[in-house]
Amino acid sequence: MKKLKYLFLSALFISASALAQDQAEEKTERQPGHTNNNKFKQLYDEFSTPNMFRTASGAPGPAYYQQQADYKMDIELDDVNAKIYGEETITYTNNSPDNLEYLWVQLDQNMRAKDSKTPLIEGSGIPPAQQASSFAKSYMTDGFDGGFNIEFVKDQNGKALPHMINRTMMRVEMPSVLKSGDQFTFKIKWWYNINNHVDGRGRSGYEYFEEDDNRAYIIAQFYPRMAVYNDVEGWQNSQFWGRDEFALPFGNFEVNITVPEDHMLDGTGKLTNRKDVFSKEMMKRYEKAKKSYEEPVLIVTEDEARAAEKTKATKKKTWKLYAENVRDFAFTTSRRYIWDMMAVKIGDKDVMAVSLYPKEGNPLWEEWSTKAVASTLKSYSRMTFDYPYHKAISVHAKNQGMEYPMICWNYGRPDADGNYSDRVKYGMISVIIHEVGHNFFPMIVNSDERQWTWMDEGLNTFSQYVAEQDFAEWYPSSLSPGMDKYPSRRGPAEKIVNYMGGDQDYIEPIMTKGLNTYQFGNNAYGKPATALNILRETIMGRELFDYSYRTYAQRWMFKHPTPEDFFRTMEDASAVDLDWFWRGWFYTTDYVDIAVKDVKKYYVSSEPTQQIKDMVKARGMSLSDLPPLVYMVEEGSEEYTEDMKTKTLMEGSQPLKEYIMDNFSPAEQKQLKEPKYFYNVTFEKPGGLVMPIIVEYTYVDGTSKTETYPAQIWRLNDKEVSKAVASEKEIVKITVDPKLETADVDTSNNTWPRDEQTSEFDNFKQNKD
Amino acid sequence: MKSIKYLALLGIFFFCSFSAVHKYYVSITQIEYVKEKKSVQIISRIFIDDFEKLLRKRYDESITLDNGQDEKLIDSYIKKYLLTKIEISINGKEMIPEFIGKKYDDGIMHCYLELENVESISTFQIQNKVLFDIFDDQKNVIRTNINGKNKTVVLNAQNDKGLLNF
Repeated sequence: MKKLKYLFLSALFISASALAQDQAEEKTERQPGHTNNNKFKQLYDEFSTPNMFRTASGAPGPAYYQQQADYKMDIELDDVNAKIYGEETITYTNNSPDNLEYLWVQLDQNMRAKDSKTPLIEGSGIPPAQQASSFAKSYMTDGFDGGFNIEFVKDQNGKALPHMINRTMMRVEMPSVLKSGDQFTFKIKWWYNINNHVDGRGRSGYEYFEEDDNRAYIIAQFYPRMAVYNDVEGWQNSQFWGRDEFALPFGNFEVNITVPEDHMLDGTGKLTNRKDVFSKEMMKRYEKAKKSYEEPVLIVTEDEARAAEKTKATKKKTWKLYAENVRDFAFTTSRRYIWDMMAVKIGDKDVMAVSLYPKEGNPLWEEWSTKAVASTLKSYSRMTFDYPYHKAISVHAKNQGMEYPMICWNYGRPDADGNYSDRVKYGMISVIIHEVGHNFFPMIVNSDERQWTWMDEGLNTFSQYVAEQDFAEWYPSSLSPGMDKYPSRRGPAEKIVNYMGGDQDYIEPIMTKGLNTYQFGNNAYGKPATALNILRETIMGRELFDYSYRTYAQRWMFKHPTPEDFFRTMEDASAVDLDWFWRGWFYTTDYVDIAVKDVKKYYVSSEPTQQIKDMVKARGMSLSDLPPLVYMVEEGSEEYTEDMKTKTLMEGSQPLKEYIMDNFSPAEQKQLKEPKYFYNVTFEKPGGLVMPIIVEYTYVDGTSKTETYPAQIWRLNDKEVSKAVASEKEIVKITVDPKLETADVDTSNNTWPRDEQTSEFDNFKQNKD
Repeated sequence: MKSIKYLALLGIFFFCSFSAVHKYYVSITQIEYVKEKKSVQIISRIFIDDFEKLLRKRYDESITLDNGQDEKLIDSYIKKYLLTKIEISINGKEMIPEFIGKKYDDGIMHCYLELENVESISTFQIQNKVLFDIFDDQKNVIRTNINGKNKTVVLNAQNDKGLLNF
């Protein structure tokens, strides 16, 4: 009994003594207490409380509701004066349990109005020199006369409704409170001057082609749109300053658009009068495209588009579109468009992949646009749910990258001679994949973009990375010589290192409203996309991640999710506790930096070391009180002798030998492992983020083994942790994160022994010489 | 060991190309004083697209960067341009950096410049007007690691000069 007690005692003090002594010396004053600041603390404080609308599992609750806004619109484009006119009837259904006193309607075009406050929140000053054009624009002209002109707001009986315009939001008052479950129908008539989106950098507008005096229009957020009313924000009527995008309810759209007779047009929804607006030849080609799954079929050829731009029709033509269950409506129109289509099988359904582009987009667009659309629909459908709409359109608009239901604008233009660099080509394919991908997030998984940019941009950029890799696999001819995979710019962990390791003064947590972030692209696109990619490849594994991601997408398709719904679902469907990951990556600006601090080598010995002798003495015991122990001697210490290196375990420790012989049969003894090398490896974590420690141990014979210690290894000590490693072969190198999959911002401390790294500058200079 | 630290300091930020957002015009210039080598090492990271636009507008419409064109000619333009737009004074005395070269990386061009024979630095002044001549809202971020201190300055057309005291 006595010996047992000692055994217990000794085991305890051997591991804990050194630390306890250090601490005892430093603790002269009593420390203050603290709240729970463990990095693995669950997110009860950050998350909203689950309720009947949104459950703790991350799914819509039994009382989940969403409002509906249905639109009937007659739109007319005045191509000569670049004006657009519209009259719309909105039927709003209050599915909420609340009675509504008023409605909020979004007037996004007012961001371009003369009295817009958008320019007023941008810092500026007098530059010492300025281009004449921008000088004139700044100081000598009135600027563009944009913004909605609201002609009337009436109820369905024609009675004017009181309304109040607060910049980009309009409050409409109803004759009586709109009760839960009731509908209200009202009409708005409006017009506005269309902006030049190439000059003014809008997400909507026209590009002007001087050579033939024509325009190509991409028209979006062009009609007064209902704001979202829901259980988390009430009315989402946060102003549109120009950056944070949109929050929109679902509804059905019946839209008639009148444009010059010689214009081509496509937009959100089914074209219901195709036979009236298509020529017979176009109809024939369209029927052919429906059955063409490999190559796009031209509906309007380049020659036809070139001929069309030479004349201008005076007559008009009306295109009729009908869309069900979409959150928005956008369209494009021009007489300059080339138009092609190709069918793509999604599940058991045919979807049409479509492209419209002016001749300036060729030869790039005819070759890749429609194929990129089709490929994207396949990749995203695999990652989420089968694409539910009947078509997806990619429109070429200079410098644009912008998404709407079923339709998006994309950049990527060869030079005047039709030449283009790889940069232009992959930029174009990437932006098409990205914008078509937005059909899934946020057009269908309808998150609130005004508040949370990352919810659509981050998830979409992550999915884009997966889709880009698929694209090159499915179209290997798209790769340039020497490339073995698609050159994705975002997704791989090492690509976010520069941002996350950068100046903290210019970084905000992902969980920040987009308007208020410094580095919008990295904050809302790059970092969340990388975080998800790391979750998929390193933390959860593809099987668990993909199932959970799909669960989230399917739970929230055609609904309005919040960040918590995403975070909760990812855990709910995988049984992986991710609160630490969300906390670190989404709620802080911490970064990953894990290092090998120290490696000590040990050998076994029968003789107590000086440290043990001192401890025994300090406790008033003698060595004979100790049970048989296997002593560990550090290489290079006073007790260490060279012969320890060559001895086997049994030779090194008499007590071990006796124990083995007493407790194992000769046959069993042969089965025992016999490690020869013992290492005390200490890892430290200068970075604030907790992450798994991925360690590659390289042995003297050149082989290696990778071990992953889960992130929870940091739960009781956020700074430093040691591992005992027993090995039959000598370890010659230890590398943390050998494949650069954790976004470690400083890899210079990742190896033992330390690699001498040369700086980027010296590297470049040396290679140059 | 000294060189190990540099990596950690190479925090650059580059902005998204896609989507839904205005394009942001930003360059990042990293300046490192390596006392042992008496060298001020400068890496300027500029979007290839932006710089291509500049070179086309300023010198030669036919230039396409990162496309296998005559890099000697391109280098000569870059050198000429950078040396006009970046001015550095150390301890009150103007010094002309040497253009070492450039490389393309993922849509970003890294330009390498060096000042040699710098014995010590007590004040460091930099003017960086790169791309101010074509983009009104261009921002040039300067990150320095001089005498063991990290400092960041953001320059724009209204405020194109930064003075650091050590």
